[in-house]
Amino acid sequence: MLSIKDLHARVEETTILKGLDLDIKPGEVHAIMGPNGAGKSTLGYVLSGREGYEVESGSVSLEDKDLLDMEVEERAQAGLFLAFQYPVEIPGVSNMEFMKESVNAMREARGEDALSSAEFLKKAKEACKQVELPLDFLKRGVNEGFSGGEKKRNEIMQMIMLEPKLAILDESDSGLDVDALQVVAKGVNSQRDGKRSFIVVTHYQRLLDYIEPDYVHILSNGKIVKSGGPELAKEVEKSGYAWLKEGEVA
Amino acid sequence: MSQWLAQVIERAGNVDDWLASARSKALAELKQKEWPGRRTEAWRYTSLHKVADLNLATTSEATTAEAPQVEGLNSIDLVFVDGHLVSDIANLTLPEGVTIASLDAKSDAAESVFGQVKPQHHLFGLVNDVLAQHGVVIDIAPNANVEQPIRIVNFASDGVESHQRSLVRVGEGAKAVIIEHGVGNGHSLNTAFAEYDIADKAALEHYRLALHEGEAIHVGGSHFRLHNESKLNSTLVGYGSQLTRLDVDIEHAGEHAFAKFNNIYLLAPKEHFDLHSTIEHAQPNGTTEENARGIIGDKAKAVFNGRIHIHRHAQKTLAELNNRNLLLTRGAQINTKPELEIYADDVQCAHGATVAEIDEEALYYMLTRGIDKQQALVMLNFGFVQELLFQMPNRALADWLQPILKQRFERMMEQQ
Ligand SMILES: Nc1ncnc2c1ncn2[C@@H]1O[C@H](COP(=O)(O)OP(=O)(O)OP(=O)(O)O)[C@@H](O)[C@H]1O
Ligand SMILES: [Mg+2]
Repeated sequence: MLSIKDLHARVEETTILKGLDLDIKPGEVHAIMGPNGAGKSTLGYVLSGREGYEVESGSVSLEDKDLLDMEVEERAQAGLFLAFQYPVEIPGVSNMEFMKESVNAMREARGEDALSSAEFLKKAKEACKQVELPLDFLKRGVNEGFSGGEKKRNEIMQMIMLEPKLAILDESDSGLDVDALQVVAKGVNSQRDGKRSFIVVTHYQRLLDYIEPDYVHILSNGKIVKSGGPELAKEVEKSGYAWLKEGEVA
Repeated sequence: MSQWLAQVIERAGNVDDWLASARSKALAELKQKEWPGRRTEAWRYTSLHKVADLNLATTSEATTAEAPQVEGLNSIDLVFVDGHLVSDIANLTLPEGVTIASLDAKSDAAESVFGQVKPQHHLFGLVNDVLAQHGVVIDIAPNANVEQPIRIVNFASDGVESHQRSLVRVGEGAKAVIIEHGVGNGHSLNTAFAEYDIADKAALEHYRLALHEGEAIHVGGSHFRLHNESKLNSTLVGYGSQLTRLDVDIEHAGEHAFAKFNNIYLLAPKEHFDLHSTIEHAQPNGTTEENARGIIGDKAKAVFNGRIHIHRHAQKTLAELNNRNLLLTRGAQINTKPELEIYADDVQCAHGATVAEIDEEALYYMLTRGIDKQQALVMLNFGFVQELLFQMPNRALADWLQPILKQRFERMMEQQ
């Protein structure tokens, strides 16, 4: 599904990703953990094609297509979804028109007909229900005045509606109360169909109790320094990242 | 003096009704007025040369018109065609506490409002004083809570000059919703002035839609006097047309009054729109929040002059005025001038005028959702004014306006 090879990328003058490799097969869930500032969010931005994030070397392919060659919107249309660590507020654009435009852009890219207003509304209502957001959120400005947890649920709502091939969830669990964490996890699990793949960036093992990963990677200083199964997350939870500094890199 | 104004003065003598003494006072003032030129501050950026020798018909053959239907609005419509009231107001079913009368009929409400709220310095306001034979007088009884909107519709037909007047009194503790809705796209001149006296603890939700297009010339004003603890929530939506000029005055005549005034203007290529607003804080503890946002198309010109005047006695005033403009091309023009005049020392004020820029982060976010750049820019640019539409308390009116404004905007983008 996704293949990242020796990826080096910089933001402005600073190189942040320093030779990152990752291979994700259809249906797999990969968790990425790592200390603050390791480059986890940067990876999401680089994959999505954000301006200012420059790839120095390496390659990335999504379903054998060169991802790095595409515009931001083309990557999204090709099936890449990024749930933001800090979702953006767009006060003058309603969640409804935003999602409608977005869903139909994806459909057009897949060669499907645009949804009618009624069809769209039905789908949107279902997605809202799944993440337990009241319907009037659709009428509000995108993320405008949403609480931290509401913004995260809104990101998952978007993921459900856009049906990506690969979803990157950047700390979708941070700032959530216990119930909201379950709602988000349920939302994600409902989208696991054996074909769709996920990168779940998190600081806490807790989320991985609900969303069971196939692999766990530790990202540190722009590289994946350790990979393993779900037990690796438990280890991190217990002993933190002090071992990274001591050079005990496996 | 222009040929047109000379004609107005001549015609003014022909209006003889119960308002004759107020009208003759206005006429005397009008005779003193100089025809505005470049050096007249209030008309500095708006030339009146198209009005100066205007010679349109002063009577109209049109007798009916269908008011634009706004789904779910369920308004009481008072329809004027070329200044003539064509609605049968004697047979309206009105909510409790509402009295609606024609300007022809002498009434206490009309007498207490006509020429009393509108400042005398507005040239076209004086023209309206002397020439507006027809109008409506809306009187909301004290403590009446009138949820059903009352809409005053003004049609301006091609080739006609017309003048219309509205007088509104909102009684103590009463609530009302009033919409002034102007339309017309032929070569016409329409003046429409409205005066509102909002009593203690009363609340008025107000809209002025100045949706004139093409060759229409529209000059008008909405003028408000706020008494103690009263509230005004007003939204103005304007196009430019050949020439649209609006003057809005909000006077805090009582303490603890609150005024929220949003305005949106959306100018198609070559249109001209001029909005002058003046907020007078004459008493302490008043609040004003004014937000003006405009999108200006190619070769169109917008003039925004927002003045807030805080009198020496008006301590503890909170006043904010913000004007943001989006210029679609290099040929689009804005002359914006927020003016703060503060004579009290214990006040909080802020004002600013900026040219809007695209929020790069918002754009990126939209792109990551697969929306293509062109469309994302349309949505963001339109979102800039849509934000104020979202703030309109009347959802039916906002939902009706949204697609109309959006389409106008999309056409503006195409014509770049
Ligand atoms: N515009 C920039 N210019 C320079 N350095 C930047 C810029 N943006 C981010 N960085 C740096 O890149 C590094 C990686 O940041 P990133 O946000 O990817 O970390 P992260 O792993 O997501 O951390 P966290 O767990 O705190 O979310 C940080 O040291 C950060 O300061
Ligand atoms: Mg991060």
